[in-house]
Formats: sequence, structure tokens, C-alpha cells
Amino acid sequence: MTILLLSLVVFLVIGVPVAYSLGLSTFTYFVLVQPDIMHVLPQRLFSGMESYALIALPLFILMGQVMNKGGITARLIQFCLMFVGRFRGGLGLVNVGSSMLFGGISGSSTSDTASIGSVLIPEMEKRGYPKPFAAGLTVASSTMGMIIPPSIPMILFAVTAQVSVGKLFLGGIIPGILVGVLQLMLTLWLAHQRGYPKESSSFSLALLVRSLYILVMPLFVVGTVVLGIATATESAGLGVLYTILVGFFLTKHLTWREFYKVVRTSILTSAKIMMIIAFSQVFIWVLALERVPETVAALVEGKDLAPFAMLLVIISIILLAGTFIDVSPAILLLTPVFLPAIINAGISPIVFGVILVTGLAVGACTPPVGNCLNVCAIVSGLKIGTIFRAALPFLLANVVTLALIALFPQLVLWLPNLLMGK
Amino acid sequence: MKSVEQILAGILEGVIACAFLAIFILVVIQVFLRYVLNSAIPGANEVVIILFVYTTALGGALAAGRGEHIALTFATDLLPEAIRKVMARISFLLVAWINGVMVWFSLHWIGVTGDYLMPSTGLTRSVTQISIPFGCGLAGIYCLLKAVAPLDPQPDAQS
Repeated sequence: MTILLLSLVVFLVIGVPVAYSLGLSTFTYFVLVQPDIMHVLPQRLFSGMESYALIALPLFILMGQVMNKGGITARLIQFCLMFVGRFRGGLGLVNVGSSMLFGGISGSSTSDTASIGSVLIPEMEKRGYPKPFAAGLTVASSTMGMIIPPSIPMILFAVTAQVSVGKLFLGGIIPGILVGVLQLMLTLWLAHQRGYPKESSSFSLALLVRSLYILVMPLFVVGTVVLGIATATESAGLGVLYTILVGFFLTKHLTWREFYKVVRTSILTSAKIMMIIAFSQVFIWVLALERVPETVAALVEGKDLAPFAMLLVIISIILLAGTFIDVSPAILLLTPVFLPAIINAGISPIVFGVILVTGLAVGACTPPVGNCLNVCAIVSGLKIGTIFRAALPFLLANVVTLALIALFPQLVLWLPNLLMGK
Repeated sequence: MKSVEQILAGILEGVIACAFLAIFILVVIQVFLRYVLNSAIPGANEVVIILFVYTTALGGALAAGRGEHIALTFATDLLPEAIRKVMARISFLLVAWINGVMVWFSLHWIGVTGDYLMPSTGLTRSVTQISIPFGCGLAGIYCLLKAVAPLDPQPDAQS
């Protein structure tokens, strides 16, 4: 066991890609500890790739990318401006509001950071907001992309933990909105303290109608899964079809050349995640062989912690792990380790899934391994440390939400139980 | 050498993109057939999975060759440029090695289980399984070439 983990750390630290670090550490383990069962390597790798449910992954990535190129960002921003622009710090509020809506459409925080940031950071700077504030707010609000459904990390968790994607999607709605509301309140308070400007905006029925087909998108995708009309993969496929129609015929921003480009990017992005999934299957198999999940469960049970205290401990570990490990590998590694302990403690896997994704979303905004932070640094031209310091107060919204979920798991469970039964 | 590599990469990208589009079209057609015509294409889901495994294996190989796989570079970024280049070469060699291991063991595995038939399409399992040695082999060759070729001044692994 020590060999497995130690070699993994060494390979990761010397810069070997995560997928291959997992493979190399397992290979090292086999060579030194169990050479007679090394033949399972390709078999486990293959089983990690051969999954119909995981086909949702590239399709959701494609859906987000098509939406991105289809000119929805500008429309979402106009839509939000119409409602919150008149308040002090209007553009800051628009930033958070757009992320809530965009997150519900793209399912990805990095897409959210790139698209909203590239429009709103320069605009906010022009209107007198400090650039670090604009960048920090963009990064922190993009975390909702992972929490509000549809969410790519949630699909990954659902497949790993063998839980319902629909329930997980529904479970993320209230915590996602909670993060958004807390960030809106904080933005409003800071805007009053610092005297940020108001925007002139008026209600436009035409704009509302023009935005409707974008706003129904998340409802359509989540609805088809929740109502059992389609599986997550099929729903993602239908979502892609919808976004193609919107991009080509309604917003008319999408071109065939652009479409081919996003198809290529999406499948290559997915392949990188899938390789981690595939190699993690080999790694997880060894963890199971070494009875690590059972040991962790016994260790946790031995401490005799109340579910709330246990969740707080797990949240701390997730937040710490998230700063060093990227979202996908963290989900794949932490889920099998903690899930048995979670289930034994009587905590719903759906609650754990939402906590895991919400916690790792914070990790995506913290150095040294923060993808949203990296994207925002490119978009804004600011240093990562500067953006992180500005984002920190807003990221507290996620931490508060995590604590609230640990205290009141019904925040996650109420909606799935109501609409899909226990 | 570089242009051959680029042409091969371009062809691979095209193949992967076409396979992905085929996945998308099959998934949508399946839903349409189920709800509108109350029927289904026999074996379509198996074909979708086969295509998906190939897109992953080949996409993974392309990403490996380009050094685009997700890596944690915060530690290596602290090192001086010269050492970083050496580390990058070591990393490519290690990736080539593990891919070579996968090719070796997967050929044996396919030899043992590859003749089993898939339930819907009736194709042998080896049709899908062969994607593993193919993808890993390609990734291994790409990485070996990278390890021996002069490296770019900037590390291209992303964190």
C-alpha cells in the first residue's frame, strides 16, 4: 500500500501526467508486491473506458462548447443586466447572475470563467471596478458551473459511485443557488462599502423572449433525466442537438468550421479525462485489493463521530485535496475511499456527491492546481496570487454552503426526494 | 519527421472527430426511434461504445504525444529551465514505458478473451479490445519521439 501511494506521489511531483502516474504507480505495486496478477492491467484499463454512461461526458463538454461559440454569453449578460443592473455594483451582480445561468447550461466552471471573464472583466474595469475584484469574482462565481446541473463532475461522481445522475443533478440545485445568493449578497455589501457604480437598465419583453430558449436549456436537459425520458447520455445528446439548432438558426453565431473545431476540442478534452478514469480503474482495483476503503471506513467508525462531525472532517480533506489535485482525478480517487464510510454512517451518497463537487469546485480556484484560476489569469492578465486573494471572500460562500449541507443534508436531499422519491 | 507526425496527428484528429459525430448521431437517432417510431437499431449501443473506446484510446495517444495530458506541474515549475527539460524527457520516457507495458499485456489478454462475441452485434470482443494496444502503442511511440527530440523552451504539460 505504501509503495502504491508513495510511487504515485513521486510520479505526480516529477510532472508525469495524472493518468499515467496512476498507471505507473500500479505497475510499481504489481512488480514489487503482486507480480503474478499483473495481467489485470489492460483488463481494468479497458473496463474504465467501456461505459455507455460515460459517453455523456464528451457530449456535455460539446454542449457547453457549442453554447459558448453560439453567442449565448452576451445574451445572458444582457438578460441579467435587465434585472440586477440598476443596483449598486450592478455589473458585479451581473457577473454572479450570469455564472448561475451559464453554469446551468455549460456544466463546466472553466468554460464559465473563460466566456464570462473575457466579456465582463474588461467591462467592469472600464466602469471603475478594480480589476482584481472583477477577476476574483469571476473565478469564484464560476464554481457554480460544477454545482448547478447539468454538471460534468457530477456525472463522473454518479458513474464512480453508481448513484442516480438525476438525483445528483437535483441535489445540486439548492446548494448551487445558495452559493450564488451568498455571493450576490457579498457583492452587494462590498459595492455599497466601496461605492461601485449602478448601471442604467430597463425591462425589455423582447429581450426576455429572446433569452427564453437559452434559459429553458438546463430545464430541458435536467428534466429529461429526472423524468426518466432519457438517460444522462441521451439527454446530453439531445442537449447537443438543441445547442446546434440554437447556434446555427437562432443566434446564428455558429459556423461549420467553428463547429468542427469544437467537436475536435471536446473529444480531445474528454479523452484526457477518460484516460484518467481508465487508469484510475486499475489504481482503484488495487485499493480495493488492499482493502483501503474498508480500512478507512473502520477508522472513521472507530472515532465514533456524529454524521455532522464526520462530514466536516471529510469536507476539510476534500478542500485540502482540491488544492493539489484536479477535479476529475480527485473525484475518482476520493469517492471509492470515502464512500463505504459515508454509507456505513447512514449519510446519503447524494449528499456526499454534492459535498465532493462543491468542495472540489473551491479547489479549482485555489493555487497551485486551480484550472479556473489559470484560465482567469490568461483572460485578465493578472497574477494567480492576485486573483486568488480577491476571490477568497467569495469562495467563503462555498465553504459556508458546505457547512450548511453538513448541518442540514435536506438542503441536498429535499428536491430529489420530492421529485424522484427516496 | 515532424511533418509526418503532424500529418498523422491531423488524420487521427479527423478520424476521432468523425467517430465522435457518429456517436452523437447514433445517440440522438436512438432516442428518436424509441419515442417516435417505437423501434431501435439493433446493436447501436454496442457500436456507440466501440466508437467511444476508440476515440478515448486514440485521443489519449494524441494528447500524450503533445504533452497535453493533465499533469501537476507546480513542483517542476519551481525548477530551473535546464532541469525542467530533463524532467520532461523523463516524464515522456515513463509514459512511453507504461504504454509499452500496456501493449505487451493487452496482446496476451486479447489472445485469451478476444474471441468472445458481443451480444448484440455479434462482433468479437477483440474488435474493441484492439483499441488498447493500438492507442497505447501510438502513445508510446509519440512519447518516445518526444523524449529523444529537442524539447520546446516552454513545458507544454498543463496543470
